[in-house]
Amino acid sequence: MTFQPVPATTEPTTTVPSSATGPPIPESRRGFGTDLWRAVARNRKAVVGVLLLLFFLVLSVFPGEIAPYSPTAEVFQPGLGPSWQHWFGTTAYGQDVLSQLIWGTRQSVVIAFAVGGLATALAVIVGVSAAYLGGISDGFLSLITDVILVIPIFPLIIVIAAYERNAGLFTLVIVLGALGWSYGARQLRAQTLSLRRRDFLEAARVRGERKSYVILHEILPTMTSLIVASFLGAALYAVLFAAGLQFIGLGDPNSQSWGTMLYWAENNEALGANMVLWAITPGVCVALLGAAFALLNYAFDEISNPALRLRKLDITGTRERPKDATITAPTTSDRILEVRGLSVAYASDEGPVVAVDNVDFDLHRGEFLGIVGESGCGKSTLMYAIARLLGPPFSGEITDGEVIFRGRDMVKLGDRQLRHIRWREFSVVMQSAMNALNPVLTIEAQMRDACKAHSKMSDKEIEKRSIEVLKLVSIDPIHLLSYPHQLSGGMRQRAMIAMALLFTPDLVIMDEPTSALDVVAQRSLMMQIKELQERLGFAVIFVTHDMSLVSHFSDRLLVMYAAQVAEFGNTRQLFDNPRHPYTRALLDAFPSIHGPRVRLTGIPGSPPDLARPPQGCRFAARCPHATPRSIAVEPPLFDVEGDLVRCFLYEESAAEENVRAGATEGVA
Amino acid sequence: MSEPLLRAEGLTRHFKVGGLFSRKRLHAVDEVNFTIGKGEIVALVGESGSGKSTIARLLARVYKPTSGEIYFEGEPLSRIRSRKQRLAYSSDVPMVFQDPYSSINPAYRVSHGISRALTLHRRAMGRKARRNELQRVFDAVGLVPAGAASRKFPYELSGGQRQRVGFAQALAFRPKLIIADEPVSMLDVSIRIGILNLMTELREQEGVSFLYITHDVASARYIADRVLVMYGGHLVEQGPTDDVIHRPKHPYTQLLLAAVPDPRAPLGVSDASDVGEPPKVVDPEEGCRFRARCPYAIDRCEVETPLLRDIGPGRLVACHVAEADPQERRPAAVAGVEQR
Repeated sequence: MTFQPVPATTEPTTTVPSSATGPPIPESRRGFGTDLWRAVARNRKAVVGVLLLLFFLVLSVFPGEIAPYSPTAEVFQPGLGPSWQHWFGTTAYGQDVLSQLIWGTRQSVVIAFAVGGLATALAVIVGVSAAYLGGISDGFLSLITDVILVIPIFPLIIVIAAYERNAGLFTLVIVLGALGWSYGARQLRAQTLSLRRRDFLEAARVRGERKSYVILHEILPTMTSLIVASFLGAALYAVLFAAGLQFIGLGDPNSQSWGTMLYWAENNEALGANMVLWAITPGVCVALLGAAFALLNYAFDEISNPALRLRKLDITGTRERPKDATITAPTTSDRILEVRGLSVAYASDEGPVVAVDNVDFDLHRGEFLGIVGESGCGKSTLMYAIARLLGPPFSGEITDGEVIFRGRDMVKLGDRQLRHIRWREFSVVMQSAMNALNPVLTIEAQMRDACKAHSKMSDKEIEKRSIEVLKLVSIDPIHLLSYPHQLSGGMRQRAMIAMALLFTPDLVIMDEPTSALDVVAQRSLMMQIKELQERLGFAVIFVTHDMSLVSHFSDRLLVMYAAQVAEFGNTRQLFDNPRHPYTRALLDAFPSIHGPRVRLTGIPGSPPDLARPPQGCRFAARCPHATPRSIAVEPPLFDVEGDLVRCFLYEESAAEENVRAGATEGVA
Repeated sequence: MSEPLLRAEGLTRHFKVGGLFSRKRLHAVDEVNFTIGKGEIVALVGESGSGKSTIARLLARVYKPTSGEIYFEGEPLSRIRSRKQRLAYSSDVPMVFQDPYSSINPAYRVSHGISRALTLHRRAMGRKARRNELQRVFDAVGLVPAGAASRKFPYELSGGQRQRVGFAQALAFRPKLIIADEPVSMLDVSIRIGILNLMTELREQEGVSFLYITHDVASARYIADRVLVMYGGHLVEQGPTDDVIHRPKHPYTQLLLAAVPDPRAPLGVSDASDVGEPPKVVDPEEGCRFRARCPYAIDRCEVETPLLRDIGPGRLVACHVAEADPQERRPAAVAGVEQR
């Protein structure tokens, strides 16, 4: 088949802050250079760490210029207390303590950087090559790493240092470096192993890159944060160990260092005499330099991993909202869930990101509701908010609205009350069963844990119930003893659903439970869900990006676009007569296996940045029916024959209907 | 018939499974023959575990075949020895990966893969020529303006845009055949069409052939000229796309087609249900690998592996039963179907 060449549907290269699924968490890697400096300047730990380190660096480079006296000249009165001439007093030999401290900085800094560098280099070489080469090389290198890791380092160093009596700087660096790399090597090996399965390495190999290039230029740059952490960790350890060794007299007693100062202070019982500061200040310096490295380590972790940072959600000034039509369905007692004006926001560096904006819907007993939309539209956030699962690492917060589940407002419930109804009255099935199931426990053990956490069932009852629910989803109860990896993808999802049904809940919330499966398994799982739902009568909220998937299964459909409800109505009605231009475009994006082959266009462009939503209709930029009005003014939801549509195209028909409705009421 | 662009003959790949002393072999791909013509889009369809990704990696020379041979422009791949030959082949047959979130190195700007491709494979190019080439491939995949797009980091792009980068990387090789391993399955439905259209445009404009690997029959039908259906490491059916879609002969192809969700079809739950599992083909015995799930299985299917037979112009099917039109055939014993 040939198509007429048509210009490519272009997606403008705008920044899309959301990841593939789930709430928008900024990604961990930033470009080097300016971004990094800005991030450092904004991080308090980093600023303090950098200042401390700079302070010591300056001292170590210019001790002669800074120190008031020579550190070795025994020219003052011994054992003086602090005074303006001698801030920290003098030693038992009549030397100035402050000058000794300043001169001693150099050795600690040199040891820190030299050992950090040496240990990190060894860690990188051993860790990365072990993981990348695999097989026997990995076995051998890992063995060495582990042996060094389990050797009690301090006694060993004492033995080595004792051999090399009065160990100088060089010996210290070599000994500490040679023993300090193993921890970093293990971390780097683990990280490289997880990278090995990443496609970009396979892409590099397929491209024809050499092994050395892959290791040096493809693997190492992605591990910058780990390498830096390894360096800072080794530096910290070197400072502490060197001081410790010198303190117990294993260093060169004539060297200028904090450890040697401690050694002499201890020998002269400085603490008991008037020379307390002689004994204390070197320790404080060691602690401060160590703290500088530790702070930098924490800060770097936070900068390279923004999810760790705690941000405060700050919402000032509420947005003017258009008045939405509400569902006019009769209020009946069999409504189990009412979501009213629900809004959820995430804190981000660019201010609050409203991921769910004023969403209203209700759900009846035994109803199957589909929620569809593109990734980043807020559908998963909505689901998490309803289930009250928004917590770290999803730092989202419900900012407004209520979620009334069987008469109780879930938004106001505390953790204890939530635990009481979660799983018993409503349960959640996650997207990837492989992640949601514990890989080291059998299915039976996981079912038992769930039962024990939420009920007081006896072991007998639990076993009976586990067998029952597995049979419900057509899994042979023999698989109770299986581990998750022994089941196929389809069976794992079935097992997840079985676990969700342990307490016959009234509501099961499903987040794309089939999207990791292929069509045949997907189809059969959908059939199973529908059959169970009809048999057991629970209600389902089914979140998916694939509208066609729910077309044959859901009663009503809620189409979300850029955090808002775009259209909400009866599934059949929505598919036969889609009203919102977005719904129409979504439906036109599916190739069909029936009918003639036609060229489809998809939806040009990409969804708006939720940190800066457009002023008017959120779909306007991609909409073929956009008008100046819809670009400037946000449309409310209009009620068109019981279907809610957020589009000005339906303003008139909605108004007419209202008039008609009013007229009939008048007649009655 | 003239020599096709690529021809696989008796392609087989087994993997060792189990512990150190295990002699068990997983038959990922068994005795597969197919061809890909110049400028042709061939879809390879099957469920996960059917061996389709193994075929992609055999063609990309990530794996070596256990037996069988792949001929590219008439030359057998097993005769590739020098690094120069290897590079030449990998630039003729690049690959686009399934997961756009893991196939681009996050530490580099997105132009990295393209400039590496140019450095490795087209050394003679000057600075200016390279910049023009970068511009050309970004334009070709619809990432505009090319200059700004190429300076972005992967995290700044959406999934669809990243997959376009994947195709731009492949194009930088001036390839003859692009292996696209499920390039749209991780993307949102709304942007899949854009990528599929891109593939047909590249075929029109650059004359590239595609091996499009997917489990989505509807998208295969949308772009492919021919369809190959795999099940359990075997090729079970092949033929021109519309012919296979409208008159599927193999019971597995029929099952696959019945499972496609189609909002345009009349609403109502169809009764085609199947709780079978894709087989793990470890040390298989003789017999059809689909028989346990097949509603039409006969005794012969237990003892004799069906071979691909010619059943019409360009149509091949590996099934003992598939002769008559499937619409006229009744399930032999539905009640007796093994339900695992």
